[in-house]
Amino acid sequence: MLKVTNLTKQFSSGATKVVAVKKVGFKVPDGCFASIIGRSGSGKTTLLSLLGSLEKPDEGSIEVDGQDISKLSDHAQIKYRCQKIGFIFQGYNLIPNLTAIENVMLPMEFAGQPKQQREKRAKELLDQVGLTADQMQRKPGKLSGGQQQRVAIARALSNKPKLILADEPTGNLDSQTGDMIVKLLHGLAKSEDTTIIAVTHDLSISESTDKTFKIDDGVLKEV
Amino acid sequence: MNVFSRGIRNAFRNTIRTTSIVVILGISIGLSLTMLLARQAVQQKISDIQSSVGNTISISPAGFSGFSSVNNSLTTSELSKVSSLPHVTNLVESLTDRLTTIGSTTSTFSFPGQSTSSTGQTSLTSPVTLNTSNRGSSGGGHFFVAGGGTLPTNFTPPVSITGTTDTATLDTTALTITSGKALDGTSDSNEAMISKSMASKNNLSVGSTFTAYGTTLTVSGIFTVSNEADAGTVVVSLPTEQGLSGQTGDVTSAVATVDSLSNLSSVTTAIKNTLGSSTADVTSSLTQANNTIAPLNSVKNISLFSLIGAVIAGAIIILLVMVMIVRERRREIGVLKAIGGSNLKIILQFITEAITLTILGAIIGLIIGVIGGTPVTKLLVNNSTSSTTTTSQFGGSGAVRTSGGGGGGGSFFATRLGGSNIVSGVKDIKAAAGWSILLYGFGAAIVIAVLGSTLAAGLIAKIRPAEVMRTE
Repeated sequence: MLKVTNLTKQFSSGATKVVAVKKVGFKVPDGCFASIIGRSGSGKTTLLSLLGSLEKPDEGSIEVDGQDISKLSDHAQIKYRCQKIGFIFQGYNLIPNLTAIENVMLPMEFAGQPKQQREKRAKELLDQVGLTADQMQRKPGKLSGGQQQRVAIARALSNKPKLILADEPTGNLDSQTGDMIVKLLHGLAKSEDTTIIAVTHDLSISESTDKTFKIDDGVLKEV
Repeated sequence: MNVFSRGIRNAFRNTIRTTSIVVILGISIGLSLTMLLARQAVQQKISDIQSSVGNTISISPAGFSGFSSVNNSLTTSELSKVSSLPHVTNLVESLTDRLTTIGSTTSTFSFPGQSTSSTGQTSLTSPVTLNTSNRGSSGGGHFFVAGGGTLPTNFTPPVSITGTTDTATLDTTALTITSGKALDGTSDSNEAMISKSMASKNNLSVGSTFTAYGTTLTVSGIFTVSNEADAGTVVVSLPTEQGLSGQTGDVTSAVATVDSLSNLSSVTTAIKNTLGSSTADVTSSLTQANNTIAPLNSVKNISLFSLIGAVIAGAIIILLVMVMIVRERRREIGVLKAIGGSNLKIILQFITEAITLTILGAIIGLIIGVIGGTPVTKLLVNNSTSSTTTTSQFGGSGAVRTSGGGGGGGSFFATRLGGSNIVSGVKDIKAAAGWSILLYGFGAAIVIAVLGSTLAAGLIAKIRPAEVMRTE
């Protein structure tokens, strides 16, 4: 369960203060695929950063699996991100000189899992997202955009996180590949019992998710 | 794959850049190792010279040069004051003159300071041979004639005659008696010691006779000596030479022995004060050694500054490279942090990358250092000592002189200049790269890499993973 209460974050730019997220509150149950839509500058990326513990909120709380992450120390935040969160980025952000399987194994290495275990898990996940054995040994530069995003999804799932945060997961993909990725995320949310929050411009995604929120000038509303 | 293997792999991410960095670092590390080797070799040479310094002091008449006349010579009575000084354990006095061979062209060739008196003649012919067309060039034979004169092509070198109170040595070089017996340096007898080559040249043996100053002398002993120039010298006792040459009581050089090296400096000062600077030039072996060491010390300083410079340059190179790499991989670092990488692990990965680059540079640097160590050291030493050599050869009167240092006395020839002898020994320097140097090189490379990575590590720690989201 993801529970957000009264979450506020503001940024200062000289004398100007911009409130990016205003008293946001919502709940998303486990295994739910939720989407947040909003135009550019509406605060959706800031909200995702707060949920992923990449930023600290000024006010409010975020509970993931019963743990308030808003007041974690820096060290605890790293541990939280490693064990409880999976990130999927619009630009995939795979490490270019590592193979697909090595990219998937990376978060498990940070979590301290033994090599054999992480190799087995990485193969399973890459197989689950549809990569062949040959593609698993390729570096990102030798994979298509859709394949790279599949690797990124497998990487996000590697430590069996409670929450996956996806920032425009289909933004760099054609519509057909984007649809396949969305279907994949739907399936994984159920099979891995993972909550997925996807930020998107793409209304076709938001129409297919279990819950949809709209954020406008930092204010979040369920649609 | 872990942090370290990823760091090593990242070092080869861009082949062209890696090659460039490794070559530049290799040159920097190679230069620092070369300088380190040079410094060690020079330090070893200085230690060798210092350990070989004898506890002797050379005394010669003030302003005396080997070919000047002996009208300013010291006297036995003046030197007796030196013998009685504290810490002086021995005093060897010598009077040296030159004799021309009867009937040779040398007898009609006038050398600066040479008396044309027919009494300074001998029946002996010097065994020393000269190549007058190649004089002053190689092999230690340096001959100069004052005023730019030239030697006749059929020139016969004169014979040196040295009267000394210590007939066991000649110009501080030990004589080895091969037949006959050594002379008593204090007796006044018409006996002489000649070299083996002199005996061979003149068909002489122990008991044979020859003439000098119009007096018949008997060969009492035949010796061998390491310095070829001394082969042309006849050794007699000091009173004999003083009597034969008509210079009773005169001495052209003396060597005082001091009881310990620690007293060398104080005794040198005491002798100077006793004899006065207008009477005698006093030079200790320590002073001579220090004069020789002076250019080596400058080489040592140059190599130290170059070493420090090269190490700093290496650290700056790796620092700038790592800063460039971190700036280039900001997003990647942000991603690593976002997916659970701690600052420590990411910094370790980058330090490993820096160490990999630096060790590769160190391997190239070690090759450069091992190959270039000796030539660069020799180049530095040669350049630094060349000015000293020039001064030795052409300074002062610049004419024919005899044996090295201040000793010389009035004898005529010297096949080597003393200073030149020492300098050539100094130039015989070799920089050897041992295991300690190799380990030092790798150790220094790792230190350079870690130091060079500190700024990069600071930048890594400051990168916020949220930036990755914002730059999407």
